Amino acid sequence: MNALWQTLRTGLLTRSLDKLFRLPAWAPGWPLLQPQGLSPQVRQALQALCPSGAFQEEPGEFRLDLAHCVLCGRCRRAFPQAIEEMRSLEVAVTRRSDLIQRVDLEKGAFVEATPPLPTRSELHLPTLAFREVSAGNTGQDDSEIALAGNPFHDMARFGFSVVASPRHADALLVTGPVSQNMREALLRTYQATPEPKGVVAVGNEAIDGEVFKGSPQVVGGVDRLLPVDVYVPGSPARPPAILHGLLLLSGRVRQRLVGGRLQEAGPQSARVAR
Amino acid sequence: MDALIEALSQGRLVALDYQAPTLRYFVERAEKGLEVLELEATTTFPSLARDFPALDWFERALWEAHGLHPEGHPALKPLRDHQKPYPFDPIEGLHEVPVGPVHAGIIEPGHFRFSVLGEQILHMEVRLGYQHRGLEAQMQGQGLAQALLLAERAGGESVAHALALAQAVEAAWGVAVPPRAQVLRRVVLELERIFGHLGHLAGLFTDIGYAYAATQVGKVRALLQGQLERLTGHRYGRNAIGPGGVYFDPDRGTQDELQDALHDLGREVGAHLQAALKHPMVLDRMRYVGPVSEAQARLLGLVGPAARASGIARDLRQEDPLYQPFSPVVRSGGDVLARAQVYSEEVRQSFAYLERFLAELPSGPVWAKEAAPPPAAEGYSRVEAGRGEVFYWVRLEGARVARARLVDPSFKNWRALEIAVRGMGLPDFPLINKSFDLSYAGCDL
Repeated sequence: MNALWQTLRTGLLTRSLDKLFRLPAWAPGWPLLQPQGLSPQVRQALQALCPSGAFQEEPGEFRLDLAHCVLCGRCRRAFPQAIEEMRSLEVAVTRRSDLIQRVDLEKGAFVEATPPLPTRSELHLPTLAFREVSAGNTGQDDSEIALAGNPFHDMARFGFSVVASPRHADALLVTGPVSQNMREALLRTYQATPEPKGVVAVGNEAIDGEVFKGSPQVVGGVDRLLPVDVYVPGSPARPPAILHGLLLLSGRVRQRLVGGRLQEAGPQSARVAR
Repeated sequence: MDALIEALSQGRLVALDYQAPTLRYFVERAEKGLEVLELEATTTFPSLARDFPALDWFERALWEAHGLHPEGHPALKPLRDHQKPYPFDPIEGLHEVPVGPVHAGIIEPGHFRFSVLGEQILHMEVRLGYQHRGLEAQMQGQGLAQALLLAERAGGESVAHALALAQAVEAAWGVAVPPRAQVLRRVVLELERIFGHLGHLAGLFTDIGYAYAATQVGKVRALLQGQLERLTGHRYGRNAIGPGGVYFDPDRGTQDELQDALHDLGREVGAHLQAALKHPMVLDRMRYVGPVSEAQARLLGLVGPAARASGIARDLRQEDPLYQPFSPVVRSGGDVLARAQVYSEEVRQSFAYLERFLAELPSGPVWAKEAAPPPAAEGYSRVEAGRGEVFYWVRLEGARVARARLVDPSFKNWRALEIAVRGMGLPDFPLINKSFDLSYAGCDL
């Protein structure tokens, strides 16, 4: 009886979708380049400041790769005139290039990005069973996937479930930079998954290796090995962002990051279609 | 050599390192603290793993990394290198059950090879290395900011690893960290410990089908993670600690709100755990399951809650002046229940320390005064993480890491699992594994 009262008192925990995709006030948002603030000195300082090498300069172009951002917020604190903030967790994308902001230095403006690719219609399912494969991950991206199932995020309400075998899965969620020692196991898990199957790269390490990029012991990204349908950035990827990735894969939300920049939400964006 | 054997038989191995032509054994003895014993070796060295099983994996790792041959090693096989052949030790006539590397749950990869007679496990061998990312090699030549990012991704415990690296750098340079930063570091360390322990406990309750307790503990854990994020800006406390200080500095309002929230969370989860660990179903499923005796724990050189649940009263916080007076949580059963009790009691203990730290938080700066780093220096440090002792040794050239050696507690504790499952039923394996809840990445680096 005590247990029942405790449960009733605890009440409803699950967060609505709009609330879910909102970043808590104290968490740093994603950095957004301000083309007019990027003087040569600032560009050089940004590259020196960033511990994870998210800023790169090519002749005539300055880039910020969100898949290499560890969200420490130091760039924005040091150069508020060059870095704005994007506060959303609807950050899953279908193309790797949609995580990179490119500024044309001659024009002083962003390079226009083409419209995002649609996800595959055969995966637009009312329920989605997935198998998780950790391939060289610290354990924290895995932990965030597990937490996407807790009462606050409740992935089951969208029809998402974790299955024990790849044979029962519609999609693979892969974390980590893919260690050489996990290469074969990951390939075999993929082969064991029946068609149609989707692959979601969860977390920066899975997208481009992040801090492990360049180590001979890692492949340095899931898409070097498997066709990736959805990329979920983050270090580690937060549970709502992972849910956004799964909703995107099942065709129920629109992609909001295009060319690394957040598009207007629009009336349909954060609604579940089905 | 005799001095080394004497030290090992009286104490516990903390780390083993090789820089040609010297082997360095870091050994801790109760009355002498941490000592470094050296041994010259060029191509071979005498293996001590037969008498001191705690050395087993250390010697194998050394052989694999440096080609230095441990003469007389009882089972010389690769640890992280999967290119070399790996012979399992099957028991003739017994059925073998291979499990992994990809498991059924959401967990890191590793392979377990069981030799079973019916349902009973007679022997089990752990084969890891799947998570090997070459982290120590990757750290070499990096700046401190980059090395910290790697440290935060070494094992499951970002705060403890970042703190251990920062303290090793501070020891090398002789930096004095201001008191406010010292206390704030302990606050995030304890938050991380509670977060980890509640995860182990929720997992244990899930594995015995006690969904109510798992959900209640999981709820408090999620709210606690929110508090950790509120303080540091990161859900796992990354980007929070640096050599010389901390990157966060809560104002008075945040401090008060944090204090209130933690007070409530501590009371809520304390009540749940106290009731749950007396529940007949919990006692029935956890008592006498997966035992590790004190003698076995000492031989294997176990650390952290796994050692304390087997009766070894050792916690690095015993020497930390900020924690005084400190008495480690010790249980003698060595079974799953004892480990669950240690987690539960340490959660209570950590909440009490958090209350004290936040109430007595000193004011002042959170960074040490900047000074030019010496051209070359080396230092080491140890931190009691949730899973046990994290060890870092670094050699610095200016502000770059010339060489780093780190040992995650999981590297020392994995073999306890092999001992704990012997004679147990195969279906109990997930429960026993969860009671240690070791980091695969921290072991494989």
